Amino acid sequence: MNAFLPAAFFLTRLLLAQDPTGQVPETAAESATQPAPQEQALTPLLREPELLDFFQAPYPDEARSQGIEGTVRLLIEIDETGSVSSVEILEGAGWGFDEAASEAASHFRFSPAEDERGPVPVLIEFEYGFQLAPDEVPADTDNSTDTAALEPVNLDGRLLEMGTRRPLEHFPVLLDDLPEIQTETDSDGCFSFRGLSPGHHELRIVYPGFVALEKELEIQEGERLSLKLWMRNKSYGDDEIVGVYRRDREEVTRYTLDINQVRRVPGTFGDPIRVIQTLPGAARSPFGTGLLIIRGANPEDSAVYVDGIRIPLIYHLGGIVSVLNADLVESVDYLPGAYGVQYGRSMGGVIDVHTKTTYPEQRRLVWSTDILDSGGLVEGRAGKNDGWGFAAAGRRSYIDLFIPLFTGDSGMFIKPRWLDYQLKLDRLDMDAGKLNLFLFGFDDILQVSTPADQAQGTDQDTQGDLATRYGTHRFTLNWERPLGRDLTLRLAPSLGLDIGELGFGSDMNIDTRDWMLEIRAELPWKPSPAFSLTPGIDLIASYYFFDVGFPMDPAYFWEEDPLAEREEWNLEDHGLGLGPDLYLVSELRPLADPERLLITPGLRLNYTALQNGYSALSLDPRISTRWSLLDDAVVKASLGLYHQPPQPFEMYRPDGNVDLGYEVARSATVGWEYESEPALSLQMEIFYKHLEHLLIPNWEITSWDDPFFKDNGVGRVYGMEFLLKREQVDDLYGWLSYTLSRSMRNDDPQGDGYWYPFELDQTHILVLVAGYSLPRDFEVSTKVQYVTGNPTTPYAGGVYDVDQGFYWPYQTAQYDSERLPPYWSVDLRLEKLFTFRRWQMRAYIDALNLLHGENPEYVTYNYDYTESAYVHGLPLIINPGLDFEIRF
Amino acid sequence: MDFSDPWVVDRLRVLAVKSEPAEPSPGDTAMLEGLVVSPDDDVQMVLWFACLAESADDYGCEIDTAAMESIMGTDLEQLSNDEILALQEELEDAGLIGAEPYLDPSYSFPADLLDGMSKEERQEGVNLFIQIAAVPQGAATDSDIELAYKRIPVSRARTPNDNPEIQALAVDGFQLAPGSTLEVDPGETYQLDPVLADDAIEDYYYLDSDGEWEIRTEEPYFEFYLQEGGFDSWYSLYPESSVSWTAPVAPLLEQQTIWIVVKDRRGGMNWWTQTVTYH
Repeated sequence: MNAFLPAAFFLTRLLLAQDPTGQVPETAAESATQPAPQEQALTPLLREPELLDFFQAPYPDEARSQGIEGTVRLLIEIDETGSVSSVEILEGAGWGFDEAASEAASHFRFSPAEDERGPVPVLIEFEYGFQLAPDEVPADTDNSTDTAALEPVNLDGRLLEMGTRRPLEHFPVLLDDLPEIQTETDSDGCFSFRGLSPGHHELRIVYPGFVALEKELEIQEGERLSLKLWMRNKSYGDDEIVGVYRRDREEVTRYTLDINQVRRVPGTFGDPIRVIQTLPGAARSPFGTGLLIIRGANPEDSAVYVDGIRIPLIYHLGGIVSVLNADLVESVDYLPGAYGVQYGRSMGGVIDVHTKTTYPEQRRLVWSTDILDSGGLVEGRAGKNDGWGFAAAGRRSYIDLFIPLFTGDSGMFIKPRWLDYQLKLDRLDMDAGKLNLFLFGFDDILQVSTPADQAQGTDQDTQGDLATRYGTHRFTLNWERPLGRDLTLRLAPSLGLDIGELGFGSDMNIDTRDWMLEIRAELPWKPSPAFSLTPGIDLIASYYFFDVGFPMDPAYFWEEDPLAEREEWNLEDHGLGLGPDLYLVSELRPLADPERLLITPGLRLNYTALQNGYSALSLDPRISTRWSLLDDAVVKASLGLYHQPPQPFEMYRPDGNVDLGYEVARSATVGWEYESEPALSLQMEIFYKHLEHLLIPNWEITSWDDPFFKDNGVGRVYGMEFLLKREQVDDLYGWLSYTLSRSMRNDDPQGDGYWYPFELDQTHILVLVAGYSLPRDFEVSTKVQYVTGNPTTPYAGGVYDVDQGFYWPYQTAQYDSERLPPYWSVDLRLEKLFTFRRWQMRAYIDALNLLHGENPEYVTYNYDYTESAYVHGLPLIINPGLDFEIRF
Repeated sequence: MDFSDPWVVDRLRVLAVKSEPAEPSPGDTAMLEGLVVSPDDDVQMVLWFACLAESADDYGCEIDTAAMESIMGTDLEQLSNDEILALQEELEDAGLIGAEPYLDPSYSFPADLLDGMSKEERQEGVNLFIQIAAVPQGAATDSDIELAYKRIPVSRARTPNDNPEIQALAVDGFQLAPGSTLEVDPGETYQLDPVLADDAIEDYYYLDSDGEWEIRTEEPYFEFYLQEGGFDSWYSLYPESSVSWTAPVAPLLEQQTIWIVVKDRRGGMNWWTQTVTYH
């Protein structure tokens, strides 16, 4: 009777995911009937293919008659339907095994692999084993003879993976380099030999991807030797996280980085989201602000999502790290512009962070500690048949204790304190679709103080430090269910609470509470590979409450009379806000090869309303295209209209009388991508954005009846982005990012307004990131950054307001007409991975601002504006850190 | 940051300005006085201008620079009385209300200044802006001139404001009389606590935004200036009134001055000048 090992080494991992270099093996690329898909493979799979129908191969007669067993290693390409489209032999076994296995595998049927877009073609490795039944094994086979089988076991052992303690199954164990004295580990990693002759033996285990294990043994007469052996995986982490920076396929611009690389970029504190600041289009955020400045847009014009649900902040207050545990991040969609209609209510960029959907079979604890904070994550599977995946993470900072040491006598201090938590549950045993629950949040405090020798008055009501607290909590559900062959329902409701508290001194406060209901639902319909249509709703409803307290009526500010009597002023209000936006997006692939040309038209209907009477309506048509002119080159372009509602405080008035519409951006981009297999890729994009109806404060306000804001501001942003990237095909990886841009504003183009640079306009943004793997698990990486200084407005002297005790400064030139000196930084990181039998430790040292030291971040003035000085960012900082990982 | 301290008078400064009365009524004449200090005592001239709030901006009154230049470029000692009167008339047209040391500043409010206003508006009043340009000896550029401004409320208030008066300075609990000299030890720290006159903190009526009369009590605070040494804080926050002053360890001046300005947040202000010597 034939026996087989149908699931032996069913390496249901994408080749690209398994290969740390990200290369498609040449043979695989050649054999793939689909252009397989390097780009697809770089997209994390949400569902791996599962073998549904196994086809048993006939045992080759000659091999059977000779008593020979064997294993054939196959490369199988599975199409979107789960059918096998091609089979290639990677490692044959001869004796007719290769042909039999190849033929049998071509009849396999799998469940299709899926990523966010639905079913995708994939390549898998599959080992087809041929094993004879015991009664078929020839009697004269050395270690398998009946005679040997009667001998007692005198050598056994168990083989485990170092660091993870995972039993290593189906690893060949060879003695004395004799193929006839060979066995392999079982599912518990165990192996045994019988009847070994006493004396010296050499044990050898070699397996792809692992450091070969060799051990000398002495077998004693009448004794049994038991071993516990450990093998070290050369590429830890690859089976845990396959995250990338990427953009959805239909987007024009896609910046793709391996998340395992970005976590080792110096100066980012291991935070994959912070690495966005090294990519094209992202400007440098001044120290301590954590602002998202994307393609010259105001920070509030860019939107941040976690698994499709919008949250108000992506960085903790202080801007040092993001609000999610880095080990929970699977991928980051960074969309600097020209994004589709799925995203709305923003004119700037979009960041959509996707949390992990795969969980290790063996539970894992990761703990990270550096000078900023300390936190950990535990993840694994639980429930019946391990049907649920879970991850729980938490973190708290202590950088507020260290910052005064770094800022020294710089005068101003910024002390952030943050904490965050995440709890995620993913159902893993669903036949189709997906279901997960995610609870996450953060709670931050930031204190800023101003020293006495800097410009400020003696007015009692304006004394004191600034203190901010900001917190966000969300509970989300992600549910996806096929409704037929071509139709899928995606539903993601979310409930949450945003808490904001701003205090200045002892008498000023702005407290807000926003209960948020967000629902994103999509119904993708893909009747053919050439056409898909996705209607969707992106609903945000909020119940807002705020309490604003001032020691004086705000009218004080526009009356500018410090001698006027002051009354404590308080405003409390609550109400409902609603934004039920609808969108419809299509993907058209009109050419015979659907990968050649993609046209993505979309339409979004925006509606915003507040209970106090404010409402606005707009329509956003957008279209983008990607055209593969050559196999390795893509031309891309986009046109789009983007409407953004006013910020909550801008669209609120006690009397509800707000005559403001949406701010508008008209965007156009054109660019190209080039990929040189396997290591180099190049992207370039030119963009132009025209901004209209920008809201600006009404400085001419004289009474409560006047509008607080006017919408006659305009702007223009244009530039070029460039990214040259080298994948880690050997020991070197890195990228060079350059952005040349100009972002201008004019507050009153119809009147006496003039064009001035946007406050955070940075003409040149050049970032070089490079890492090099050294022997013995050392790695060195560096980040070099050059950025044009931010605009600043010069002052020289002032007029003393005797009543208020401060000087009103003279502006000596046009607003934002000067710039800070360029920002230069060189960061260096050295790390070493220690792998022990039961755990791993990554130790690193980040040296920040290695060469240039402190960079000017702001200009500050003395009390009468006759002296000025730069407020510098961080000086040289040595940040040692440790990451521990243990399986249990 | 190594900025000069705001409480150190190391150049020509205007520290305070007061009007008497502090809150005049239409038809009154306000006599104005400034606390203009200079470490070198090199004040050449202090020019005073006035304008109503409606014609002022963030920098006070818009000064007719031609008027300033004409007086700064003229040797008044050489002018006859008629020429001085003619010049004064020209300058008054430009808003000039004083040119110390030649012309003491004062301003006579038109009797009809508040006509046409409601009773409540008249009680609240309007502000007159007083602009001071302190010109040092040998001023070469505009930036050498110290500019300051102050608002003088003019009203028909039920309880017009008076300037607060500092009647003594308590140093470590011992009160110094006006005009006395304080002797201190270099490097020592002293508690400075200005003592206000009994009637300095006034109760006054205020018509609130609901149209109700409230009786309020002033909350004055103090600013401290000096030539050498350091304060723990250079201004007090009501109800505190004292600060700690540490005398210089190695004084550069044999004698220095500490100026204390009191402000009642209604426009009234006054000051105390304290001479300090060292043991």
